[in-house]
Amino acid sequence: MATEPIIHIENLHKHFGLTPALKGIDLDIYSGEVVVIIGPSGSGKSTLLRCINRLEEYDSGGIIVDNIPLTTAENINAIRTEVGMVFQSFNLFPHLTVLENVMIAQKVVRKRSKAEAMTIAQNLLEKVGIPEKAYDFPGQLSGGQQQRVAIARALAMNPKIMLFDEPTSALDPEMIQEVLDVMLQLASEGMTMVVVSHEMGFARAAADRAVLMDEGVIVEEAVPDVLFSAPKQARTQAFLSKIL
Amino acid sequence: MRVRKELDRVPGYEVANHRIDTWWWLVVAVVGIVLLLALRMPDPYWRIIRFVSDGIGVTVGVTLTAFVLTLVLGLIAAIGRLSNSGFIRSLTTVYVEIARGIPLMVQLLFWYFAFPSLIQSFGRLLNYQPFERYLADPFTMAILGLTFCYAAYMSEIYRAGIQSIPKGQNEAARSLGMTHGQAMRHIILPQAVRVILPPVGNEFISLLKDSSLVSVVAVADMTRRGREFMAANFIPVETWIMIALLYLVMTLISGRIVAWIERKTQTEER
Repeated sequence: MATEPIIHIENLHKHFGLTPALKGIDLDIYSGEVVVIIGPSGSGKSTLLRCINRLEEYDSGGIIVDNIPLTTAENINAIRTEVGMVFQSFNLFPHLTVLENVMIAQKVVRKRSKAEAMTIAQNLLEKVGIPEKAYDFPGQLSGGQQQRVAIARALAMNPKIMLFDEPTSALDPEMIQEVLDVMLQLASEGMTMVVVSHEMGFARAAADRAVLMDEGVIVEEAVPDVLFSAPKQARTQAFLSKIL
Repeated sequence: MRVRKELDRVPGYEVANHRIDTWWWLVVAVVGIVLLLALRMPDPYWRIIRFVSDGIGVTVGVTLTAFVLTLVLGLIAAIGRLSNSGFIRSLTTVYVEIARGIPLMVQLLFWYFAFPSLIQSFGRLLNYQPFERYLADPFTMAILGLTFCYAAYMSEIYRAGIQSIPKGQNEAARSLGMTHGQAMRHIILPQAVRVILPPVGNEFISLLKDSSLVSVVAVADMTRRGREFMAANFIPVETWIMIALLYLVMTLISGRIVAWIERKTQTEER
């Protein structure tokens, strides 16, 4: 494990109006690590994730991603090309085919040629297991297939870090595993991943660390097996008793 | 095609289709009446058509020019209203409120009569010859007036269309590293176009009708030519029946085209 963290979060504060969402978060994530963030709804876990690529602005504190501080607009765009994001609601572009969804940012942002972008997109669709859907539109796909396209779309930018914001919460139960399988494969390839999810199976199998957040603070962090079976904090125990 | 055939068997859909056909018959009927009048009673109806024919060209020209400019200016104003900068947002909001708050007729009179006077006074103040001698061209001022007013309405249509696209679309685009402009151009606007096409078409029809107001600022459009014909021949009933029918032909055909676009964007919805 590298000594310098690839994501360094220091004393992060954020308010929505008068409601505090994050109350002083300190978190270091190292290259190749898989970190799962759990916690009750409204605990600030999605907000924290969205601060990492600045989809959400924060009030004070600092985030440094891959030695780039999130300050100027150029820095933010530079970080966004290094950080892929997968959303709960997929957010595929409905007016583009699956293949075009995976190609568009490569062409527009990375300035790759059409042929190069297409080759990369086809390989990635192969990787997530749906090459045959390349010319369909997102609306014709199942939720699980859409989420796998969304992962391919993010990977097409060759990110160093992948953020997953509750990637399986909007899926029917029978489709969850196909998405988790792709995520497990990514983890095994050494991708740095920050995952907001309550999928305990995934956390146990792939995560190096699990972090429990509640009311805008990090309550406890540990290796998933330890956190799930022997939590130290009362709040962790209370939360785990509700979801397990 | 297969889907369309199956939809034809759905009772409600059949009725909707049937209604659209009826409206096409209305276009045919109105055109038929115009032709019948012109052929069976060339005096005065064919004379009226011949007299106002250059006005038809002016009406179509003014409407199309103003419409194209409205599409461009409206988009600029809409993007201004959605800007992150408070100053630009206020500026465009003030523009939209002013342009929508003053009757179009008053705006046209202002651009034609008051605006050139103001420029001339300004020129005298600065002792700047081109401004002092500034004379308004009716055609330009009419198009300026129509565009200024209609772009404000158009910007609201664009804005509603852009805002109807879920926030997640922009977030996904931005998270892939696209700039605000790139996300607009490649992700938001292509989706918004489908939403705004029908109301934009309706604006075109309104603009076509309101273009008759330019007749008060010395533009020889169809309405003005009609007034001239009436003044020379003293047959108001025949004159205004024919002018009304000619406008109706134009608006009904435009309406059918808008309805066709509307159906096309709906069936292509995925």
